[in-house]
Amino acid sequence: MQEAKEQASARDFTSPQVLEPWTGIKKVAHEEYYTSGHRTCQGCESAQMMRLLAKAAGPRTIVVGATGCMYVANTTYYSTPWVLPWMHTQLGSAGSAATGTAAGLRALMRKGKMDKEPINVIAVCGDGGGADMGLSAISAALQHTQYNLLVMLYDNESYANTDIQISGSSPYGVNTSFSPPGKLHRIMHKHWKKNTAPMLAVGHPDCRYVATVVASNAVDTLNKVRRALSIGGPTFLHSLNPCPKGWDYDPKYSQQIGELAVETGIWPLYEIEDRKLKMYGKSQHIASGVVKRKPVSEYLLRQGRFAHFTQEDIARVQARTDEMWEKWFLPGVIALSGA
Amino acid sequence: MATGSVEIVYRGVFQKTLAKNICRGIVFAARKQGKVGIAFSRYSDSPERNGIPAKQFAVVADTDEEMEEYLSRYEPDSNDVTIVADDTLCKGIESWAWNGLQPVNRMLKAGGTLLVTSTRSANSLIRDIHRKGEPFNLAVVKGRASFSGMWVYRDDHTDMRLLGALAKVAPHIVTLDSIVAAINEPKKNDLKAASAKQAYDLVASTTVGANQGNDTVPFRFDLPGWRKMEECLVVGARKVKQEVPGWDGGYVPGRNPTYKKFTTRTLRPVINFDTCTKCTICWMQCPDTAFDITPDGYYDANMEACCGCGICEAVCPVANCVTMVNEEAFTDNQSQWRMWAKDKKTYAAWRVERISLPAVRSHGFQHLGQYAEEIANERR
Ligand SMILES: Cc1ncc(C[n+]2csc(CCOP(=O)(O)OP(=O)(O)O)c2C)c(N)n1
Ligand code: SF4
Ligand code: SF4
Ligand code: SF4
Ligand SMILES: [Mg+2]
Repeated sequence: MQEAKEQASARDFTSPQVLEPWTGIKKVAHEEYYTSGHRTCQGCESAQMMRLLAKAAGPRTIVVGATGCMYVANTTYYSTPWVLPWMHTQLGSAGSAATGTAAGLRALMRKGKMDKEPINVIAVCGDGGGADMGLSAISAALQHTQYNLLVMLYDNESYANTDIQISGSSPYGVNTSFSPPGKLHRIMHKHWKKNTAPMLAVGHPDCRYVATVVASNAVDTLNKVRRALSIGGPTFLHSLNPCPKGWDYDPKYSQQIGELAVETGIWPLYEIEDRKLKMYGKSQHIASGVVKRKPVSEYLLRQGRFAHFTQEDIARVQARTDEMWEKWFLPGVIALSGA
Repeated sequence: MATGSVEIVYRGVFQKTLAKNICRGIVFAARKQGKVGIAFSRYSDSPERNGIPAKQFAVVADTDEEMEEYLSRYEPDSNDVTIVADDTLCKGIESWAWNGLQPVNRMLKAGGTLLVTSTRSANSLIRDIHRKGEPFNLAVVKGRASFSGMWVYRDDHTDMRLLGALAKVAPHIVTLDSIVAAINEPKKNDLKAASAKQAYDLVASTTVGANQGNDTVPFRFDLPGWRKMEECLVVGARKVKQEVPGWDGGYVPGRNPTYKKFTTRTLRPVINFDTCTKCTICWMQCPDTAFDITPDGYYDANMEACCGCGICEAVCPVANCVTMVNEEAFTDNQSQWRMWAKDKKTYAAWRVERISLPAVRSHGFQHLGQYAEEIANERR
């Protein structure tokens, strides 16, 4: 009897927590695990993403966070908005911190130095810390399939905390501290946004869950987090987070800007579970042709970071977005096409 | 033989360029008078965050030695003039490493001048400004707070007008002639110079007595110095829930008691509980977890936590159920739901009165061409 119990608990602590999806907005738990009192901008959707992430994960969770706004703005002199245990890790090391934390917890439990129970391990990083600097560490984390962990990349499309510099995730043509439009050269940033989530999904066949999310679509976001934590093994979520400071728009429009990113087709929402791709939310309607994409100008012209755009620039962004949905091998997801 | 210092208190990001232009103007004007000048922002306010109070300084001295001596302190804490670029800051600010609410006139010298841009009367501002215990001057430059964002500047000459007014209230720091000379460099700009001169002529100043003003005691809390911090600098976690008397069956989340954020607010949501459908969307979308769930299932924006972003107003599906109202209309942070639950008629009257005050301000960029349109309208 005793032995059976021990075996059961040994299984328990190596398997993930089971977090059922919430079936509607009214079913969402009231509990908050990342709460008021953070020194982020008014209307910061990255903070909102932390809130949703913590809410979905629940109380038996450890969060490690790489340097960036979600570290600096949340650590005002000796104070914190976190209810969950949270620890800072170096800018490029979200992946390694996640693996290390998961491995450490497992070792402590195996040795009987901690109660045996499944604990969610989440590592959070920005686009600078995740899509640029920490990409290899995230790749390594997704290869260590024996650990249950989630890496959440919160993408505000710049190195925001150091006052808005270009990252690999910054969109084409954007104004940042590193790409100020000039009289002679209007467009100083000519790269297309890095396509991080599909790259990680395709490149790590044993990773069971990768999804894109946006905070304006709150219930789906909560449920994607719960799915990512429940499925087991290392998983990855990429969130787009409108940033009123760096994107230069009135903070009251944060939710609407997030919606527009989806409705214009610029930010497709999908999940890839066990290598099966599924579009969801408004992106599903776009992909199936039920709804037409809104023109990208509706998104671009509401943000001061694109205030220098001419019709030509808008047309270019529109053409690339059209291409994404009309020419790509997997529309909105994978930029390959047949020869 | 003297030094003079000017502190500018402003809304982070929204008024960063404005504050920088003012500081730069002061330093250039001082040099025109053969003085030395330096401008700097507080390292601890960086990176600035939208709406969160921040400070920049301009110090002027007759000689290099005096300047060096003055700058040996951490930050100017006894200023000749404090420029308040947005009148809602008059309620006080949660300043970095201050551990509570800092009265906006706290770093002003006795007899110094608080120079505020506002459309309000001096008396109405004095209602909000904390008692200093020493007399000081209050000067008002008429105009609404000028807000813009990171990349697009709202060039409505607020910077020029504040410089002109400064020359009037503190001629020992900079004179109008030197301000105008600085404005005209590197390129002559008659319109800007005219704005500075006009403000110089129009700025009105009153003396505020030692015991005049807001007599509430600003909240303070103690934070441990580094010797008293926990091992490994561990900071205690927040509670998941607060037990609040009279709130049984509802839900009040735990909150960070040592950083409240409400001094970030220039507008606050006023809620019509009579038309609210309890749809949860405002609660769900508030990045600051400001909503308390009431015992009867409403969502009450907690004014100690709300930073006034306006998202709840933007997402509420019921027309006119949430209205953002200028902070000027309030003197406390009381729960609106408690007021409503106690007496619905009185609350309705209170609400209607509040929302009749239009929110004549925006929080920066909304669409292309907006600033130019607004400035043209204001001039008319
Ligand atoms: C190794 C290292 N390089 C540079 C920095 C300076 N730094 C601090 S935060 C930051 C920006 C990080 O950007 P991102 O990961 O996108 O997060 P965000 O600030 O946008 O939330 C940088 C460059 C650092 N802390 N460590
Ligand atoms: S800069 Fe952007 S991500 Fe950082 S706190 Fe402000 S809104 Fe949030
Ligand atoms: S304005 Fe509304 S959404 Fe914004 S912090 Fe206040 S309660 Fe929350
Ligand atoms: S969004 Fe509006 S209707 Fe819905 S709960 Fe909030 S106040 Fe009520
Ligand atoms: Mg970033």
